[in-house]
Amino acid sequence: MALFEIKSGALVTLQELHPSSPFFKQGASLRITGKLHAYSLESGIATIIDGDDTLKVSTEHLRDLSFRVGSVYQFIGELCIEPENEVKALLILLYLARTLGYMRVLQARVGRNVDGIDLNLYHQSLLLLRQFQANHLNNPAT
Amino acid sequence: MEKKNPLYNTHVKLLAFDLLSLSQHSPDSFSRRSIPLSRAETLGTVTLRDHKPNTFLRFAIDDGTGCVPCILWLNHLNSPYLARRRSPQDVRLIADLAARAAAVVKVGVVARVRGRISRYRGAVQVTVSDVMVERDPNAEVLHWIECVNLARNCYNLLPHPSSSSFLLHK
Repeated sequence: MALFEIKSGALVTLQELHPSSPFFKQGASLRITGKLHAYSLESGIATIIDGDDTLKVSTEHLRDLSFRVGSVYQFIGELCIEPENEVKALLILLYLARTLGYMRVLQARVGRNVDGIDLNLYHQSLLLLRQFQANHLNNPAT
Repeated sequence: MEKKNPLYNTHVKLLAFDLLSLSQHSPDSFSRRSIPLSRAETLGTVTLRDHKPNTFLRFAIDDGTGCVPCILWLNHLNSPYLARRRSPQDVRLIADLAARAAAVVKVGVVARVRGRISRYRGAVQVTVSDVMVERDPNAEVLHWIECVNLARNCYNLLPHPSSSSFLLHK
């Protein structure tokens, strides 16, 4: 049924979103969590950080969500990675894109404020969850 | 000694990937590792919403391991089935509860959903009986831990239905 063809947003940390990561794919559905570092009202682009890692999030499709720098947000959406060959042809845009950090953008379809979340517990639980899921899928009968 | 299946008619807390991989034996019969289940509880972010007033509300709960399709029926007031079996006051009460549940299900909220496990077009879904919006930002994390703990220390340890200590009582 068409309504449920949208994929689940895989739980990832910003640290895991590097080019060699299995999550780093064009159109990958992801759920990311981080602190709002900056927000542009004009472009609707939010920059979230987790430690030293940052990610741009396009919030143009989100409504009823107010942005406050310093608050923690969680977004579910699709990863958009600019293709290198096209960027080469648009050298100026490439420069601008890199300057602005637009090389990878999460096109958010869902977002929420999660101020008060225990990020340490979140990261530890994520590891536990992945381990459980891997064991279950590898050995469903035991 | 007879032992009832403690999970049948219990809202079993399952992660989405686990719930979506249940085996089905007949239209209303589902099982996990051969243990029959009829009801489930899921918790996650509402990512889709399709509302047909006075008919149904379809929505999806994404818990990070999968998307659980849910259906909340809103057709109680014009259901001949309910009219034959329940008093008008009861039907009104059920309809009001469903309408209140539908009002809180919005894209982006985290909801705890309980209901009957059913199937639609070949996929497992939850026919909703109860929805609660979670405001604690740690609710999802606690749900993951609870699901893992219950699976490891309870659900996975139940005796196989074919064993002598297990008799299903519906």
